Amino acid sequence: MQTQDNTMTEQSRETNDMKSEKATDPAIESGLKRLTPERIQKTINQVLEKETGPRFKAYVETCMRCGMCADACSFFLSNDRDPYFMPAAKVKNTIWEMLAKKGNVSKDFLRQAVRISHLECNVCKRCAMYCPFGIDIAYMMLLVRRICHKLEITPQYIQDTVNSHSVTLNQMWVKDDEWIDTLQWQEEDARDEFENLEIPLDKVGADIMYSVIAPEPKFQAGLIYQAATMMHAAGIDWTMPSTPGWDNSNMAMYTGDNEISGRIARAFFETAAKLRVKRIVMGECGHAFRSVYDIGNRWNSWVMPPFEVVHALAFYHELLTEGRITIKEKYKKKVTLHDPCNVSRGRGLHDKARQVVNMVCEDFVDMVPNREHNYCCGAGGGVINCGPPYKNERMVNNRNKAEQLAATGAEVLIAPCHNCHSGLEDIIHHYDLKMEIKFLGDLIYETMEKKIYTPGK
Amino acid sequence: MEEKTSWDWHTDLKEIPVKEWENRFNWVQAPQVSKDGERIAAIVNLDEMVFNVCVNGDVWDDKYEKAWCLAPFADNGFAAFVAKDEEWTMNVNGVQWSNWFDFIWDMKISPNGDFLGAAFQTDSEYGVIVNDVPWEDRYENLTGAVMAPNGTSAAVVQMESMAAADVDAFKKGIFSVARNGEAQAARFLNAWNISFDAGAQNIACTVRLDREAYSIVQNDTIWDNRFESAWKPQFLDEKTLVAPVRINGKWKLYKNNAPFWANAYDQLWHLSVSPAGEDIAAIVSTPYGRWTVAVNDRVWQHSWDTMVSDIHFSQDGACLAAVYKHKGAWDLAVNQTPWQMRADKVFVPSISPDGSVVAVVVEKNSTRQLVVNNRVMASGFSFMADPVISPDGSQVMIKAIENGVYKRQIISV
Amino acid sequence: MNSFIAFIMGPMVWISAIIFVGGLLFKGISIIQSVRQKEPYIFSYMTVKHSLRSMGAWLVPFFPKSTRLRPVYYAISYLFHILLFVVPLFLASHIVLINEAFQVSWPALNDGLADWLTLLVIAALIFFAVRRQMVPEITYLTSAIDYLLILLVLLPFVTGFLAYHQWFAYRWMVVAHVLSGELMLIIIPFSRFSHMLTAPLTRAYMGSEFGNVRHARDW
Repeated sequence: MQTQDNTMTEQSRETNDMKSEKATDPAIESGLKRLTPERIQKTINQVLEKETGPRFKAYVETCMRCGMCADACSFFLSNDRDPYFMPAAKVKNTIWEMLAKKGNVSKDFLRQAVRISHLECNVCKRCAMYCPFGIDIAYMMLLVRRICHKLEITPQYIQDTVNSHSVTLNQMWVKDDEWIDTLQWQEEDARDEFENLEIPLDKVGADIMYSVIAPEPKFQAGLIYQAATMMHAAGIDWTMPSTPGWDNSNMAMYTGDNEISGRIARAFFETAAKLRVKRIVMGECGHAFRSVYDIGNRWNSWVMPPFEVVHALAFYHELLTEGRITIKEKYKKKVTLHDPCNVSRGRGLHDKARQVVNMVCEDFVDMVPNREHNYCCGAGGGVINCGPPYKNERMVNNRNKAEQLAATGAEVLIAPCHNCHSGLEDIIHHYDLKMEIKFLGDLIYETMEKKIYTPGK
Repeated sequence: MEEKTSWDWHTDLKEIPVKEWENRFNWVQAPQVSKDGERIAAIVNLDEMVFNVCVNGDVWDDKYEKAWCLAPFADNGFAAFVAKDEEWTMNVNGVQWSNWFDFIWDMKISPNGDFLGAAFQTDSEYGVIVNDVPWEDRYENLTGAVMAPNGTSAAVVQMESMAAADVDAFKKGIFSVARNGEAQAARFLNAWNISFDAGAQNIACTVRLDREAYSIVQNDTIWDNRFESAWKPQFLDEKTLVAPVRINGKWKLYKNNAPFWANAYDQLWHLSVSPAGEDIAAIVSTPYGRWTVAVNDRVWQHSWDTMVSDIHFSQDGACLAAVYKHKGAWDLAVNQTPWQMRADKVFVPSISPDGSVVAVVVEKNSTRQLVVNNRVMASGFSFMADPVISPDGSQVMIKAIENGVYKRQIISV
Repeated sequence: MNSFIAFIMGPMVWISAIIFVGGLLFKGISIIQSVRQKEPYIFSYMTVKHSLRSMGAWLVPFFPKSTRLRPVYYAISYLFHILLFVVPLFLASHIVLINEAFQVSWPALNDGLADWLTLLVIAALIFFAVRRQMVPEITYLTSAIDYLLILLVLLPFVTGFLAYHQWFAYRWMVVAHVLSGELMLIIIPFSRFSHMLTAPLTRAYMGSEFGNVRHARDW
């Protein structure tokens, strides 16, 4: 995945013209074949008339075509200010047209609509901060995705992820036994460092339920190990569920499958309720945070999540400021920090994140722009989940991120979000940036005192 | 067989020291208390990769590489999943089952403790085992296993293998429901939330038929109606099935494929039928973001801003208790009356058969206390299992740990 | 013809004013009703504090980052919006008319200054039109209606300017001025000009989502 054909790299960087060789997607193509004009029209009108309200109407009627959203968008900036990629243009080429034609649009139009909404928008909401009226274009792109979902023309890989969610309630087809087996295996490994370390399963009445996304047990089990050592060293009364509901990720919210999205969120919070915990702490993932903090809860009629959901960034901050974990020796290399949209623009954790980085690292340099204004990693919003066929365009579409990273001169890039992490890793390779990429937890684990916290000391 | 009347309701206090376990063993996992309160047990570590279960200070005969999921059943039994030579089985009161698997999980215990079950996997084939008798047919995958009080088991099973990211295969529908190991003929995109009637003669579940169409399957019959979504169905009797279904963004209760409750809610789930079958209660949200309980389609007078997590009927159906969260604190409401304890945690309430006594463990400021009929009866414990109320409703059994000593205490209410 | 002119100069002024106010009022009420009916969740997230915070931030020139990226456009845009209200409302001849009708009055702008300000409004509108031609991303979004909207605002100001100077056909110019002013008022509730009502609402909602839920800034 991470190796890149060099000639391709050079070519794409020089010409920056990948539009002519866009990937085809069997799921989109076979889905389009099945569609009839009647179904297209009925579905579009059903979604736009029945599933929206005054909010959507106001967005459509209020836009004055001023173009201020353009400068917000990484796709626009990375493609030499090609107007096609500006946020309002994405609405023009999807929603406005659907409304003008009363849903009577062609299959070619839909093919492009799938692409615009799934691959050319990270639903990062940066443009909402640049629109004088605060129009939520991400919301409208998600409406387009909803239409694609109902027309069954969602890109293959992300659809497969949603299928996995629907069956296993996790995003990677991790079977019930594989999950538990992985936790036990990590517990066993971690005991080499802390001999009494335990990953308590289903401990009813623990203070904290720790939850992760499925790629952790599937590919990055070491992250669970690290989290367990931190929990153990900090003396936290914690638990992890052995039952489905352990995964906080949610790709269904990105394909417009709101029903599956809600089902996932319900399972998640009811798992916490069953375990009688006080709070939920989650690993370094952004979209998962958005899912349980902002999206999945709403479909279920929870205004806000019924349990306090603490993102890893805030949890590290708590552990370090309370002295439950101490740093033995600060990390020496020059680091920079990427603010993931979903926890910074989505939860305002950017200042805490900086405090943590400064507590852990000696040499921190900020990237520009930063905090709420940071550029998206280009992978978020389900874009990377559309899979390998689209990797090249993703690299082209996120050139400005590479430029932003390069300008920092940092040796190490901290990306406290799984999607960002994978996306930025691709960027670093593609643009040959000579940067290491790490989770914040990696650095804390590396620098922390491996001693056990005893309250009052 | 669980027989509360035969339990000791006369001795005021019995103590078992557990602090010393920490010295005896490398480490001790969270303890479990038997139903009758006579025994306390924990998974303990004796050496590297050597685990066992310690019950009242005595360890089981066999030693294991791994052990997990220790659970009490019947009067004073304990069961756990245990592994030897990388193979797993269930150990029941120190006795291993004869069937060993690559993995075993999702323990099922029938209400009276006569049946113990679990999901298992061997050579990437999945099934369910009950009382050491495994399903004959094995499947690609298995989720949502359930077991009825009479030991009948069922699960959602995957009928054929699927290549990576094969969305077309998924679209065909490759999931079914297997009952006692035998898969039904119908295939679905998804099946969830299997439910039995009281005698486990009838089975129902929620299904998804295509990307948008949800319905309910009652035995072999799919309801004609299609819904935007649906939650777990519940049998009222052998022939009557109710289920919460989503229509136009709101939730309604349907009975045998037809509208039942008149009201539409923002959420409607956790159906609970009173033991005599007279009342149907559910956790509901109405309007958006407000949570309460509806009994026979009539909502309680109070509603809360965060969550109602679970509801419990007394045996006679006269009492209904709801665990809820409001303004950041957990609480209990009994027959519409909120107790207003504002706790950090509220555990599962116990209710006397006639509904007159409700006892619950709550946690405040990191210590646990017993609250009976909204009066604090005991407090200051580091650990407390759910209380038990005597069959005549006059006494409550406390199961708690204080200063390293397990205490089984009988108090009058 | 005279009766037509009399109608334009008399009852039509009232009619257009009523359509303008009534139209916006109706729109506002129907939006709120529709939110109640179809998207009541919106009220769960709106707070006065965060709505005002966001609107306040966006009213301060060059405070939002977006405005600093396009300083010329925003400077002209801010000025234009202020003048759009200030010039007609504080024009001496308008105040005289209002005084005749309602016996209320307020201080007026010096006529010479108002004249210059009118030119500024016209210049701003020409700038908007030229910008639609010159900046590729705006051109991409622009359709004929966008120019029509500019023209609709331009007309009352141009005709007013010409009428004031009485350079030619004064009487007809006054009629054209009144007519185009009426037209603009009537169109407002039924066109994207209604952003004078909806923009504060969308701003308030986004400000609330950012402030109340996301604990982040939206400027």
